[in-house]
Amino acid sequence: MRCPIDTRENAEFLLAYCSRKLDAASAAILEDHIRICPACREFARGQQAVWEALDVWEAAPVSPDFDRRLYQRIEKEVSWWDLLMRPFRPLRFRQGLPIAAAAGLVIVAGILLERPAAVPSANSPQSAQVDVVAPDQAEHALQEMEMMREFNRLVHSDAAEPKM
Amino acid sequence: MPERVRTDVGGAGAALDYDAELMLRVKEGDGASFGVLLDKHRSSVVHFLYRMVQNQPVAEELAQEVFLRVYRSRSTYEPTAKFTTWLFRIATHLALNAIRDGKNERLQEHLDDDSSDMPVRQIPDSQPSVEEFMVYQAKLDEVRRAVATLPDKQRAAVLMHKYEEMEYAQIAKVLNCSESAVKSLLFRAYETLRARLAHMA
Repeated sequence: MRCPIDTRENAEFLLAYCSRKLDAASAAILEDHIRICPACREFARGQQAVWEALDVWEAAPVSPDFDRRLYQRIEKEVSWWDLLMRPFRPLRFRQGLPIAAAAGLVIVAGILLERPAAVPSANSPQSAQVDVVAPDQAEHALQEMEMMREFNRLVHSDAAEPKM
Repeated sequence: MPERVRTDVGGAGAALDYDAELMLRVKEGDGASFGVLLDKHRSSVVHFLYRMVQNQPVAEELAQEVFLRVYRSRSTYEPTAKFTTWLFRIATHLALNAIRDGKNERLQEHLDDDSSDMPVRQIPDSQPSVEEFMVYQAKLDEVRRAVATLPDKQRAAVLMHKYEEMEYAQIAKVLNCSESAVKSLLFRAYETLRARLAHMA
């Protein structure tokens, strides 16, 4: 066997051997080589020591309120869409409300908020451009609200059960 | 091993890892799937960040930012790589920024403190003697210092290789470099660590 320490690229075999990731057949061949190669033997000994030393370094457990704090930060993430929908929240959308009815309500709101010019000027284009909210945006808003409800549920249940 | 789930999302029945499948459900508005991903990866992300910055409160703050960014990106998420690759790419990016922003100056102070950040080792079935505890603490300090001396990318590569058991290819994708560059990073990092820690054999 060619000495793996000769080339840096081949040293990965020694690394894999020391971390016990080498397949049994390759490990056996390498062990035979290590027996007769002082450089590889020293490398393996040192790498084994590093591996065992790194094993000593255990990480502390995660704070029990980690999830609760994360969900609170997520709830504070207010999208522009959420700001737009906020005035309509007291209308209490029911879960089963058809998307078309929700989109219709938003379109009406869009039309009410964006009034076309009363008298188009002579030089302006004849077609008035009205910004309306597309149904997919309404669907997105409903998904956002559903996720917020889910997070609220998870936050309250998480406050009751501390996690690792 | 993550489960492999076939799905039509992504086109032509491509196989996705289970985490990517969960993230696609989050994209569709399934908040519970986000909770599953959080449960599964919370500890590994926090522990990786802790070993990178060696400060538990900072590590948890950065980990929160990682999951916040995952949540923010849900509407544009595409499973172009393993979910853990994406997750650790975000975590590594935040850790490297935190270290370069000078937080590491505070972090290095902690290595000299008798910091309560350090975990108390749980030795089952017996209480360690004072001597055993002091030997353990001395070893731990030496390991932490040795890792802290590694350049940022070498440190990240070693932590992913050793503690997350990532293959070279995945580490390369996380660090956005070639596989041979990862091997070089690891070779140099372990060379440094052998010089500092081999006497602990």
